[in-house]
Amino acid sequence: MGSSGKPPSTYTPAPTRGSRPKKPVFTDSDVDWERPDGRGFHECRPALFKTGLVKAAAGSAYAELGNTKVIVSVFGPRESKKAMLYSDVGRLNCNVSYTTFATPIRGQGASDHKEFSSMLHKALEGAVMLETFPKSTVDVFALVMESGGSDLPAVISCASVALADAGIMMYDLVAGVSVSCLGTNLVIDPVSEEESFQDGSLMVTLMPSRYEVTQLTVTGEWSASKVNEGMQLCLDACSKLGEVLRSCLKVPASD
Amino acid sequence: MDTSGDLSSQMDPDAYRRLFPLRYFEQHLSESIRPDGRPLDRARETIVALGAVASANGSALSKIGSTNLNLFLVQTMLAAIKLEVMTPSIESPDEGCIDAATLTLLFSAIDFHMPPSCSPLDIYCLDADGALFDAALLSAVGALSHLQIPVVSVNDDGRIILLSEEDEVKLKKEPLNKEKRKLSLNKIPFSLTCILHKNYILADPTAEEESIMETSVTVVLDSSSRIVSFYKPGGAVLASTSTVQDCVALTRQRANELQAILDGAISDMEVD
Repeated sequence: MGSSGKPPSTYTPAPTRGSRPKKPVFTDSDVDWERPDGRGFHECRPALFKTGLVKAAAGSAYAELGNTKVIVSVFGPRESKKAMLYSDVGRLNCNVSYTTFATPIRGQGASDHKEFSSMLHKALEGAVMLETFPKSTVDVFALVMESGGSDLPAVISCASVALADAGIMMYDLVAGVSVSCLGTNLVIDPVSEEESFQDGSLMVTLMPSRYEVTQLTVTGEWSASKVNEGMQLCLDACSKLGEVLRSCLKVPASD
Repeated sequence: MDTSGDLSSQMDPDAYRRLFPLRYFEQHLSESIRPDGRPLDRARETIVALGAVASANGSALSKIGSTNLNLFLVQTMLAAIKLEVMTPSIESPDEGCIDAATLTLLFSAIDFHMPPSCSPLDIYCLDADGALFDAALLSAVGALSHLQIPVVSVNDDGRIILLSEEDEVKLKKEPLNKEKRKLSLNKIPFSLTCILHKNYILADPTAEEESIMETSVTVVLDSSSRIVSFYKPGGAVLASTSTVQDCVALTRQRANELQAILDGAISDMEVD
């Protein structure tokens, strides 16, 4: 036990250079590299969703996509704070945080991820019937227990299931999927390693039964044709993921 | 005349429970049973799952109150450890440290001799339903028993680096810790929280019980049944010597139970 009051200065031991990927993830024209987990380029990781795990919350969901593990709890609706101006539509309060051990280097993921919190809010607000709870607030807390790539789409899909579990009225569930652009190749549902090498990324969140997009983000370098191709890939995957989300709600959560 | 006593036969039990929680509980206690069907001295069913988080060096999920393996019900705590390298203190150059603000006291029970490395132990409460400390300690102990120390070596800059098997051959580096890959936990602490109410002692209270009856006692015993910590933060009920002894006896019983659960989790992991 440290006898002095001050915490010691520490660092996380890094892997040696040799254990980096042996060849670059892509060379200019090839398709002959393998994904770290051996998937096809257009193949998503198997998705597991479960509801009703957190008893203290109004609704909750747990999602596991490969190594990405996310838990979302929904509280409310509760009365909005007095300081808020009157509003005849409800407020959705979203917060995304990472555990300190979610990332390879400790504490790299923020305990309060502002960017993801705002993205989660934007992705959900179009799907939630905010007018059904005027003057009230619904809190959505997402905790990334382990970051394994495609964290944000996992959080968004999981949050929509948690909202449904809490009985919040929605137009539809929201399924999120991202693709990474690596050279000339598009890989769907990228893992962390692929995300760190990507040239660009595209994420679509879709309400599957209505076939309406609630959020579309494109970052990095893309050609117009690639964007189209990536978007179509995402839309198809979102529709399939939507069925998974729907079926998990049909399973009686707990009794 | 006790009016609420009459009401209990007329009212809907759920409404009665909400309106007169204390009476509701006392009626149960007088019959030596708790609303969730447990006898007063029985703790909830407990599960420890080791290795819940792959990105940490050691991790454990403790669930207290779960009846079904496939569900996290009631109380869930997640603890995980990530090893970091630290500069050792001058007084004790061959000792590491565990960085866990609230639990530090308790780990005096564990002999922690490891070449300088710091293990930040982070505990997240995923779901709370009473006796948080017990669940937190159990998950912490689980994470420490699961902790696998990676093979490391020193690079040319004097910094510690992780060593994979192929590196060992290629770079001809000697690992510093070929042998010591596990912590040696000598005396493992286990705890039990009890609620004191009148003459009753309720082991392992739920959040509802904690909110109605406010005096609690937490006893921490190590594997050889010695007291590591005894915590009674005030409260309306004063504990007599015999109550204290009863609490310690309950904790001893619980410690044996938890030891068996933890051993089971460790052997399950080794089979996989």
